[in-house]
Amino acid sequence: MKTPVVELTNVGLRSDRGETVFQNLNLSIAAGRSAVVTGPAGSGKTTLAELLIGLRFADSGSVEVFGELIKPRRRRAIRRIRRRIGGVGGPFGLLPLLTVAENITLPLVIGAVRKGTQREKLRKALTEFSLLKQAGHYPPKLTRVENTMAQMARASVASQPLMIIDEPLAGLDTRTYRRVMEYLTRVALSGRSMVILTSDIPPREFPETDYYEIVNGTLA
Amino acid sequence: MRITHIVKEMARNLYRNFGTALGSLLSLTLLFLLFDLFWVAAGTSQTFYLSFISDLQMDVFVTEETSDTALVALEDSVRQTPGVSDITYVSKQQARLELSGQVGTDLLVGYDSLNPLPRSFILTFQPEYLNLNEIRRIEARLGALNGVSEVNYSRRWLEKVEKTRAIILQVGLGLGVIILLAALLSSANNIRLMARARAVGFRQMLLLGAGRFFIAAPFILEGFFMAATAAALGWVIIYYGQQQVTFSQFEIVVPLRDHIIAFCLACGVIGMFSGYLGIRSELKA
Repeated sequence: MKTPVVELTNVGLRSDRGETVFQNLNLSIAAGRSAVVTGPAGSGKTTLAELLIGLRFADSGSVEVFGELIKPRRRRAIRRIRRRIGGVGGPFGLLPLLTVAENITLPLVIGAVRKGTQREKLRKALTEFSLLKQAGHYPPKLTRVENTMAQMARASVASQPLMIIDEPLAGLDTRTYRRVMEYLTRVALSGRSMVILTSDIPPREFPETDYYEIVNGTLA
Repeated sequence: MRITHIVKEMARNLYRNFGTALGSLLSLTLLFLLFDLFWVAAGTSQTFYLSFISDLQMDVFVTEETSDTALVALEDSVRQTPGVSDITYVSKQQARLELSGQVGTDLLVGYDSLNPLPRSFILTFQPEYLNLNEIRRIEARLGALNGVSEVNYSRRWLEKVEKTRAIILQVGLGLGVIILLAALLSSANNIRLMARARAVGFRQMLLLGAGRFFIAAPFILEGFFMAATAAALGWVIIYYGQQQVTFSQFEIVVPLRDHIIAFCLACGVIGMFSGYLGIRSELKA
């Protein structure tokens, strides 16, 4: 049996103020499958993303991503995990002092990918996400939609096996919404896994996807 | 690939924070210039000291009772004393001539058979023995020889010079350490300022799986570049100054080019460390 991409077991977490964020939260995502997690604002969706990338650590239970435990002081493991995750929204953002093109190719630079391959992937991503005109712009000059598109483009270039997408559909116009949905569907079909965190009610049309809702700090 | 990124990021840092970078470069240049000045002063005073001390002579006076035969044996013993490079015998007659040369008149006219001036040897020394400890050792050894009545040299002058040199060395070392520490902290603080402005970016890079070294490298490289450039600028100023100023009594001694290059590289290493110190606190996310 393949190792699950994400395995959360009886996760408990309290906020800094002592309030319960998660209790006995369980989530398992097999390789190639995706999960859509819904919940109202403040229900802990972004916190869930933070647990998966090692920005926060569970008070109880265990968090495993790609079979590696996420715990404090496991910096190398966390770095390895982060390199295999493409992120959009929530804790993820663009680097304000890099251009859109540089932001998109950054995961490739970090991964020491050849310059020629970088250029090729960049061109493809810029075309796919209609960012050719914005390639030389800096993030503060982008609209919210362009910013989301640039993050999608960045998450697409390195083809990481897991994508974490926090509120991907918020504030999108109909045309962009359709394109994002198309893109996410393609990702779901490509064998990559996704964790989509959203407060919108998502259309149940993603293939290979399970749907969850955060209710009182646990997944239903 | 990563090296291109690191160099590009460093250049971008310097360009975006031009004022801070320039201020840092100038303050480092001033600090290193101060260090260079001490170095030049130390080198110059050392050369000055060596030129003085190379003229150091020691008079070894022979007792009246020493016979001519014993004098030959004594001369051999003196010559074989370690550190002695040259020995000149001064007879009573030569001493009288010298005295009259110094005084301007022969004070012993009519007392030819009663010349009280002692016979002596005038010694010079090998360069490696030209320091107070070695000279004292030679003095003790010669003083213990049969037939030697007195050993004389400019002992007090040598003691003063040695003491002054020791003080200059201690003060110079202390100041050198303070200057290099100031350079380290000044550079680290400037880099910290530049890094703090980019904290959001660092967090994002860490989330993308970038290693700490990948993020820190441009700043470490920047530290090296700034410190090495500042050190080189300091020496350019010194060279310019040396060409403009000449002293008739002594020559300004500038260290060898290889030493200067090594110094600039060492400053660069200090700069790298300051870069690491500057960025370290920003990489805790």
